[in-house]
Amino acid sequence: MSSSVTQSKAAVRQVICTHCHCATDVALRAMSVFCPHCNKRLILEDYKIDSYYAVREFSTCGDVVVEKKGHVVAPIKASNLTIKGKVQGSVVVRGQVEIKKTGWFKGELEAPCLVIEGGAVFDGFVRIGLPAVSA
Amino acid sequence: MADSTNEFPTTLGADAVFKGQLQFEKGVKLLGKFDGEINSDGQLMVAEGATLTGDVKAGSVRVEGQVKGNLNAAAKVQLSASARLEGDVQTQRLEVAEGAVLVGRCVVGVNGHSKPAGEVRSASRPAELIPTATAKGRMPEPAPTAGKK
Repeated sequence: MSSSVTQSKAAVRQVICTHCHCATDVALRAMSVFCPHCNKRLILEDYKIDSYYAVREFSTCGDVVVEKKGHVVAPIKASNLTIKGKVQGSVVVRGQVEIKKTGWFKGELEAPCLVIEGGAVFDGFVRIGLPAVSA
Repeated sequence: MADSTNEFPTTLGADAVFKGQLQFEKGVKLLGKFDGEINSDGQLMVAEGATLTGDVKAGSVRVEGQVKGNLNAAAKVQLSASARLEGDVQTQRLEVAEGAVLVGRCVVGVNGHSKPAGEVRSASRPAELIPTATAKGRMPEPAPTAGKK
């Protein structure tokens, strides 16, 4: 019994709320939770986008990969973002943004770290390396 | 050392303060302060501790210091970890090391403005106005369709 308690205590990770930016402990396998600070729903999953996808808001505490055939038209909030396809919109990332050689980006970008491979197309306003203002 | 001299035959020393317009052919290494305009096809290096204020047009630019102004490089712009750039960047290739600070508009890639194949929508059109359901019967709303990692 005690071992299961220990196990459940260990199986947590910390995520940052995409709405209020407060740190929250969540279960490792949780797919979504409600932020205890702002009571808004947080998606914790990683996503791979390989088709056209346009929404008002696309936010997750996980990583997002836009595949070659993917085309996202949305404001994105994520932990890390990899662009192999096309992305149009305002992007706020807490980790790294990587634009691969087949990647195409147009919009605004805010992240601590940016990697653009040769051949990628990038057109937009960037804010790199400064403490996030809207993350 | 010899390589560096070959690459950058001209060096503006750490105690130099230059104001005006600078033109060169091969390469310039900036160690001090520069205030003005640079127009060249060669390489420019803004070393750590150096400050450049003004617009730059060059073949390639490597920044380790501080730059306030617009950079236009035909080939490549490199920002190392200690770099701080406030201004617009237009180039074919951009490398930003972790720790570098970049604030400004960037246009990188083939002519910088190439549109993806089949791109018909205007970028200025707000995302919420673009219908999520297409004529080909794609799912309207939710979940970033594709499979999870």
